[in-house]
Amino acid sequence: MSGLLEEAKALVAGCDRCGTCLTVCPLFKVRDVERSSARGKNALARGLAEGGLEPGPEVRGAVEFCLLCRACTDACPNKVPTDEAMVRVRQHLTDRAGGPTVTYRLVGAALRSRAAVGLGALALGALRRLGLLRLLPSALVPKEFPRKAFLAAFAGPAALGGEAPAATPGAHARVAYFQGCGMKLMFPDAAEATLKLLGGLGEVSAPDNPCCGLPHLAHGMKGTFLELARENIALFEEADVVVTDCASCGGALKHLADHFKDDGAWRDRAAAFSAKVLDLTEFLVRAGYRSPSRGERTFTFHDPCHLARGQGIRRQPRQLLEAAGRFVDMREADTCCGGAGTFHMDHPGTAARILARKASSIEATGAEVVVTACPGCLIQLTRAAEASGGRFKAMHISQVI
Amino acid sequence: MSVTTLSDELRLIVGRDHVLDGEVDRFGYSYDSSFLPLVPAPRPDVVVRPRTAEEVSRVMALAFAGGIPVTPRGAASGRTGGSVPLHGGISLALDRMTDILEVDEGNMMVTAEPGVRTMDLHDACAARGLFYPPDPASWKFSTIGGNVAENAGGMRAVKYGVTRDYVMGLQVVLADGTLLETGGKAIKNVTGYDLTGLFTGSEGTLGVITRVLLRLIPLPKARGVLRLLFADMDAGCALVHRMLKAGIVPSAAEIMDDVSLQAVARHRRMALPAGAGCCVIIEVDGEDAAELEAQCGRIRGVAEACGCLEFKVAQDKAESDELWAVRRGLSQAVAALAPNRLGEDISVPRDAFPEVVRRIGAIAKRFDLLIPVFGHAGDGNLHPSVLCDMADPAQAERVHRAVDAIFEAALAVGGTLSGEHGIGITKRPYLAQALGEAGVRTLQAVKAGLDPKGILNPGKIW
Ligand SMILES: Cc1cc2nc3c(=O)[nH]c(=O)nc-3n(C[C@H](O)[C@H](O)[C@H](O)COP(=O)(O)OP(=O)(O)OC[C@H]3O[C@@H](n4cnc5c(N)ncnc54)[C@H](O)[C@@H]3O)c2cc1C
Ligand code: SF4
Ligand code: SF4
Repeated sequence: MSGLLEEAKALVAGCDRCGTCLTVCPLFKVRDVERSSARGKNALARGLAEGGLEPGPEVRGAVEFCLLCRACTDACPNKVPTDEAMVRVRQHLTDRAGGPTVTYRLVGAALRSRAAVGLGALALGALRRLGLLRLLPSALVPKEFPRKAFLAAFAGPAALGGEAPAATPGAHARVAYFQGCGMKLMFPDAAEATLKLLGGLGEVSAPDNPCCGLPHLAHGMKGTFLELARENIALFEEADVVVTDCASCGGALKHLADHFKDDGAWRDRAAAFSAKVLDLTEFLVRAGYRSPSRGERTFTFHDPCHLARGQGIRRQPRQLLEAAGRFVDMREADTCCGGAGTFHMDHPGTAARILARKASSIEATGAEVVVTACPGCLIQLTRAAEASGGRFKAMHISQVI
Repeated sequence: MSVTTLSDELRLIVGRDHVLDGEVDRFGYSYDSSFLPLVPAPRPDVVVRPRTAEEVSRVMALAFAGGIPVTPRGAASGRTGGSVPLHGGISLALDRMTDILEVDEGNMMVTAEPGVRTMDLHDACAARGLFYPPDPASWKFSTIGGNVAENAGGMRAVKYGVTRDYVMGLQVVLADGTLLETGGKAIKNVTGYDLTGLFTGSEGTLGVITRVLLRLIPLPKARGVLRLLFADMDAGCALVHRMLKAGIVPSAAEIMDDVSLQAVARHRRMALPAGAGCCVIIEVDGEDAAELEAQCGRIRGVAEACGCLEFKVAQDKAESDELWAVRRGLSQAVAALAPNRLGEDISVPRDAFPEVVRRIGAIAKRFDLLIPVFGHAGDGNLHPSVLCDMADPAQAERVHRAVDAIFEAALAVGGTLSGEHGIGITKRPYLAQALGEAGVRTLQAVKAGLDPKGILNPGKIW
């Protein structure tokens, strides 16, 4: 048995097959068969490890069919980390098959290339030439990247109003901005707003960082993930605080240390790095940020999985939004929106059904703007906003506070 | 009939999406929440998920004609392997039949399809001021059909009884596809044999339950939860015993021993006073706060006489929920203590409770195993959990002998093999010992009469 399967088996050993997770898994809500649920996935991991199942395309499909949203772990009496087990199994299947599927390899390569990501619109062109455009969210990438239209639609109070007043961040900390690929590629304006917010609080550097590696890790390209991690650790060595406005990057970076536990050369550097990563909302609340003015807009907040369950951050974004306008919480605010990395591309139908549930929760609040803190979620929510026919808009938190 | 044609025929009945015959899906329907090994997986050839009783009937007619085994399945939260398709064939999942068909307020009854989750059923009735009391710890995910098939009990059994006490009538599809209606809304009903009772607790071996009619009672207006700590199990048992004898009937009285208590305390980061070796969680209900207070006062009196170390009354809903969560999460908290756990389910006359707990303690010593005990002290149903590592063959051998000894102990004090989880696969070996030869033969005669080809859930109970 491979070490990875052994690890996966150990991770799910606490699964009592009770079924509590069946009631919370967003995938089970839209496709209620055993394999969708965490119980089903954990059994699958054990089945593979114990030789009761032969790996094949069907098994692969089943382990890919997970949002890695951790709703199950949260509800599970034994806190079984199904998502971590699935990542191990994916890695195992990838290693076995001699590499990830072509699609993931291409996306992985594109995300690795700083140039390709950094050039924004150009990168989109490059991806289009590679025939990868279908992988990008169609709602966000019409024929040409509609920068102007985008700006007009998404201008939040922060963009309209004055500069954020300088507050006192942790006395002269050297703050560095970690820009995720999603933010760079899809939401350059939100990224700009983040920089503006951070700049209002003191000196900020923005090194040209590569991808956090989460997509690679999630799809069984651990080698690439580790390379990227080392690059990032070295790149941010000088910073005291590393702030990111992407929940997924934040979650991944905060956990980098775990992957270097047994690596003598990198263990301490990785731990130091992980310890200084903060989500934007976490940083702003700590730094005592105040909104320049309280607007009349009604906001609701969608908790990214990687923020709420991944990092335990639920209060901070709400606190910031309450200060910036009227805030209404929605039903199932922390239920996955169906984006989940590349999930929405691999399973568009399922993702759409999950999103429809989310959209109805948003509409029920009557909020004008649904705010979130992860580009992955923002892609999905933008889609929902478009489908809502203008009933609400979707924005990144840096654009509205 | 080849597997492909069977799947195709089934697709004609329930629709394409509701027949699953891929490798992964067949594996997914091969296990339940029992402690049976996952591999080798007794896979069904095909999983069928009907939506109506009529579809179930057509599936059964097809299976009957072909002599194909059929294993009914609710949420697979069963603890004895009941929904495991031991002989392959069809896994008949009823979890898409989720309509609550009628809440009859006048007659205080509810009619529901079998796939409704117990908690949803409870909530729908409670919304109209009506109470469906049976509340197995699995009520968030188990189905009402599964509850009836297992005659599930819950925490409130001490005051309100078990599922059987509420089943008024059933719609059942028999082995050959015939649709049978039993019972009805008439409270008094002695027309012929008690068929409703016969199918209740039949573990999917006599028919497929496609509709249930349940009796309801008025919802108690007030409810309170207490947590009592004692030095040891004897003191805790004494409390429950004296309380009931004094005519105080709580709606639940759950007991746990020191190991179980430590496990939940750690699980929920709860602080405990030194010396606490037994915890009793009591729920009382009644008309109003005054009535609850009076009951609590009387319980406090008895508790003090039994040497209670701490007496805590939940002050609000959040605190009550927290106390209940301690009990509901118990089985998993205990499971987390070891690589494997064999959670057993025995039931003894109430006054034999302390004695059987003592015997189990001795068994744990004799076989050098950790066996925490918790259970429904109010009704004599307890769950000894053998904690072990079954990967160690020497230990596995001791575990099996310990389990045998536990059943022996239960029978020796006048108890029985199962309080609520049924016999399924895991308790088959002990059946004759509990029922006697004549008992087993009678069950078999009933089975043969209703399911002559033996296609309904074969391999279960005996
Ligand atoms: C954490 C946990 C706590 C539990 N606590 C309790 C408890 O407190 N009390 C208790 O009694 N049990 C308890 N159980 C056991 C289990 O939940 C019950 O036995 C429950 O009734 C099973 O329901 P199910 O829908 O999951 O049925 P399944 O497990 O799917 O099936 C159980 C049996 O019923 C048959 N069956 C299911 N549906 C039908 C139908 N419609 N028609 C005919 N046969 C059918 C199956 O063939 C099988 O034999 C617990 C289980 C877990 C995991
Ligand atoms: S993952 Fe947790 S909640 Fe789900 S079946 Fe396993 S133990 Fe139960
Ligand atoms: S991580 Fe999310 S999608 Fe995956 S099994 Fe758990 S709840 Fe379901």
